[in-house]
Amino acid sequence: MDSLLTLSESTILTWITFIPLIGMTAILCVPRQNMSLIKGIAGLATFIPLVLATMVYFGDFQTGANGYQLVQSLPWITVGEFQINYTVGIDGLSLPLVWLTTLLMFIAVPASETVPRLSKAYYALLLLLGCGITGVFISLDYFLFYVFWEVMLLPMYFLIGIWGGPKREYAAIKFFLYTLAGSVLMLIALIAMYLDQGTFSIPEMMAIGKAGMWTGPELLGMSFTTWAFWFLFIAFAIKIPCFPFHTWLPDAHVQAPTPISVILAGILLKLGGYGLIRGCFPIVPDAFRDNAYVLGVLGVISIVYGAYVALGQTDFKRMVAYSSVSHMGFVLLGMAALTEWGMNGAALQMFNHGTSSAACFLIVGVIYDRAHHRDLNAFGGVAQVMPRYWALATFGFFASLGLPGMAGFVSEAMTLVGAFQAEDTRFQILVLISCLGVVLTAAYILWALQRVFLGPLNEKYKGYPDINGREVFSLAPLLFLCLVLGIFPFYLLDWMDTSVVELMSLLKPGS
Amino acid sequence: MQDIHLKGFGLLSPELVLGAVSLLVLIMDLVWKERGSSRLGWISIAGLGLASFLLLLGFDDSVGDTAFGIVVVDKFGNFFKLFTCASLAVVIGFVMGDHRERRDRIGEYYFLLLGAGMGIFFMVGTNNMMLLVLGLELLSLASYALAGFHKGEKRSAEAAMKYVVFGGFSAGVMVYGISLLYGLTGTMDLQVMAGTAEGVGLTRSLAEAVTTSPATVALAMVMILGGFAFKISVAPFHFWAPDVYEGSPTPVTTFLAVASKAAGFGALLRFLAVLFMSPDVAAAVGEYGIQVGSLIAIMAAVTMTLGNLAAVRQESVKRMLAYSSVAHAGYVLVALVAMNGPGLEAAMLYLVAYYLMNLGAFGVLLYFQGQTGKETYASLNGLGRAAPLISVSAVVFLVSLTGLPPTVGFFGKLAVAKAALAVQDGAYGWLVLLMLLNSVVSLYYYMRVAKHLFLKESDGTTVRPQPAMAILLVVFAALNVIFLLYSAPLLKWTSASMDLF
Repeated sequence: MDSLLTLSESTILTWITFIPLIGMTAILCVPRQNMSLIKGIAGLATFIPLVLATMVYFGDFQTGANGYQLVQSLPWITVGEFQINYTVGIDGLSLPLVWLTTLLMFIAVPASETVPRLSKAYYALLLLLGCGITGVFISLDYFLFYVFWEVMLLPMYFLIGIWGGPKREYAAIKFFLYTLAGSVLMLIALIAMYLDQGTFSIPEMMAIGKAGMWTGPELLGMSFTTWAFWFLFIAFAIKIPCFPFHTWLPDAHVQAPTPISVILAGILLKLGGYGLIRGCFPIVPDAFRDNAYVLGVLGVISIVYGAYVALGQTDFKRMVAYSSVSHMGFVLLGMAALTEWGMNGAALQMFNHGTSSAACFLIVGVIYDRAHHRDLNAFGGVAQVMPRYWALATFGFFASLGLPGMAGFVSEAMTLVGAFQAEDTRFQILVLISCLGVVLTAAYILWALQRVFLGPLNEKYKGYPDINGREVFSLAPLLFLCLVLGIFPFYLLDWMDTSVVELMSLLKPGS
Repeated sequence: MQDIHLKGFGLLSPELVLGAVSLLVLIMDLVWKERGSSRLGWISIAGLGLASFLLLLGFDDSVGDTAFGIVVVDKFGNFFKLFTCASLAVVIGFVMGDHRERRDRIGEYYFLLLGAGMGIFFMVGTNNMMLLVLGLELLSLASYALAGFHKGEKRSAEAAMKYVVFGGFSAGVMVYGISLLYGLTGTMDLQVMAGTAEGVGLTRSLAEAVTTSPATVALAMVMILGGFAFKISVAPFHFWAPDVYEGSPTPVTTFLAVASKAAGFGALLRFLAVLFMSPDVAAAVGEYGIQVGSLIAIMAAVTMTLGNLAAVRQESVKRMLAYSSVAHAGYVLVALVAMNGPGLEAAMLYLVAYYLMNLGAFGVLLYFQGQTGKETYASLNGLGRAAPLISVSAVVFLVSLTGLPPTVGFFGKLAVAKAALAVQDGAYGWLVLLMLLNSVVSLYYYMRVAKHLFLKESDGTTVRPQPAMAILLVVFAALNVIFLLYSAPLLKWTSASMDLF
């Protein structure tokens, strides 16, 4: 066995996760006046994981191989009745999200320059957040998963609460309370399942689920697996967030500083979708199949309702926040359809929404840093003073809109096709309704762009400098991904497909 | 004959050390007449250290009973005795670090604390209801005096008065309940009642008593549980707690919330375990125990909900911590509804976690109280920048109290939830769900402290550094995290200490 400290196939995921934590410790040791050194450490502690994750992507990871790769497993708490392991590993579903996390964390560091009252605590918390999120994506032990899941709440609370907008205190505690309410449901399901079969290992729990071996008692007329399913689903649905659990999101997004919004929309919401396909559906597949249609309906409500509410917003950032509700609805719809296309589309949509919504928040941040407000109706004609910004913004928002040729189009189309193919024909109606959402999406995005960039120039905005190099540096990789994955989606689909097939075999009966 | 005497003395040596040191402190205070010296504090801590050393020395092999079987020495008792020593040492450290404490009667302060400790030792180390009540009274009398220690302060006097009235009443109720049991069974010994040991003279087991006079047994049980409920501040006997906690000097509050409460739990755990849970216990008594479990479930549900809802509305951090300690008593009771060994272990694990997080929280309160002279949320505004280390430690304690990873408080909640879910086909699922939802509610008021420390602007308060207290608090915060990441020693200790049956 390799030494635990050398960089090898079995330790690389651990390094990717914990390098930000090492960076955090280093930052805490630096005197608070030395901001440039602090920023340097933060940059390095996010850049190294990005490099390592890229190496995993192109090197160590075997495309098309079954099961989990780069697995590391160590006993953690093994006393008496507790059998808990530190087990990490990735497959085609988690790898893109791990990579996206490292990318967005790296982008968040330069994007933080304009955050007011910036201090070393900010960077320390940012790195702690990065550690927590990456940890969730690589955990193969549910206990570990839960620990990481909760670890990221605290830094998020402070990042919104200290560096946020005027109503930051309210938004921060609301975010915290909502997510915690979901996690306690997850915890109770977790303990019940542990008592039932005595394992926290996610692959083992999936095997138990496929074999239908959960033996827990029926309570109040609902079977054990149904209880577990709903508890787990609500925990993740709050994070996605799907209607009716979404109300924390607009507040958190609007109050959070730009880089935190980027992380929130880009990665944190993905935790919900990822949690469903890793920690909910395959563990209780029969309960999932019984309730798939309900999830589909919730997904469609999120799509249409999110888009409709976005149309009514006058705050630029709030509009983007509601667009996330709408876009993540596609993820839920695709998963609920129980078809390979739908599942692939959902997984792809998670990644694409991660890049496009992160780009949109950066774009909003650029204009906010100059105007110090986000009122859509108070802008106008900005295209005349900031032409390069206009071009990039249009690019980013079209990617979010799902324009053909852009990444969002491929994944949304795939989820809709997948949902149409579903065995349950009621899904065809859902697809028809969700097309309404697509139209509404086009409407709110085009209308917003028109109000901000076109029309007569408002005199107030005359002297604004165009988008600068630092801002382009943050934005460019995201827009690049939106374009590349729109034209060559199979770059990502090839990686995911094997895992999706495997997931489908766990979800479908008797296959 | 001589051997027996010596063995008895050997088993009682920790109690003797504690008694000797408490007297020594009282005398040296008169001899030295020193003000502002911390020598007496160090002597007390050294005495507690010696007592702990003797307890640890005999942890593995000195098991037995003495004083005609009235005092029992076992690992379970040693667990709570060690717990008491560790809490008292920290409380005495708090007294030494409390700048506002007048030093003129400091010897009495330590004497009363150590005397209360001795009461706890007897309370948790007996199967005899008589000695249990005596130990409880020794603890209570010392606590009444401690609550009113700031003689000149109206609040403190009021606290002592309330405590005496409530305490006297509930002790009376408990003794009455015990007398009913004695009348029915003819013995004070729990094991004889349970039918696991032979009684002397005309005795009968609780099983027979239940069949002949069920109503009387039920009444006795309710009364005895009421007495315990007072000590551990469980609804509906919790009304004294917020007022007394608020009025007492903060180190005394810490003592009441941690050591005294754990002692109450120690005695309650032994009472329930010996009477109902042992595998040798008569089947009828065992079944009766299950019903007692459902009574405890109701008490737990009411206690944690009331405690949490009341804590939300407080403006004083000290009062909030008082209500939070009521809520935590409810969480421990959740483990007890299991009415089995794993349930008791979970309760003990939770108490250790409670020790680590609550001592820390009260320490932070004392630290800032010493700086600002106030205990409201608003007095904490912006102190996160003025005292970053203490404030970050405070966040760790608060997170631990909420029960979130990566802290030991999470592990405590996990163990409790697991113990309660494991019995009766998950019929107590509602209770576990209620407990976890309560912890969501508690997040709101715990995070309010963090909000005032970090999110509010400072009003210019400066903080004088107190290195000794700061180190103590940072160490406690670190322990809160370490015992989640490396919880094996904790689990091993609690399961090794469960030797009641």
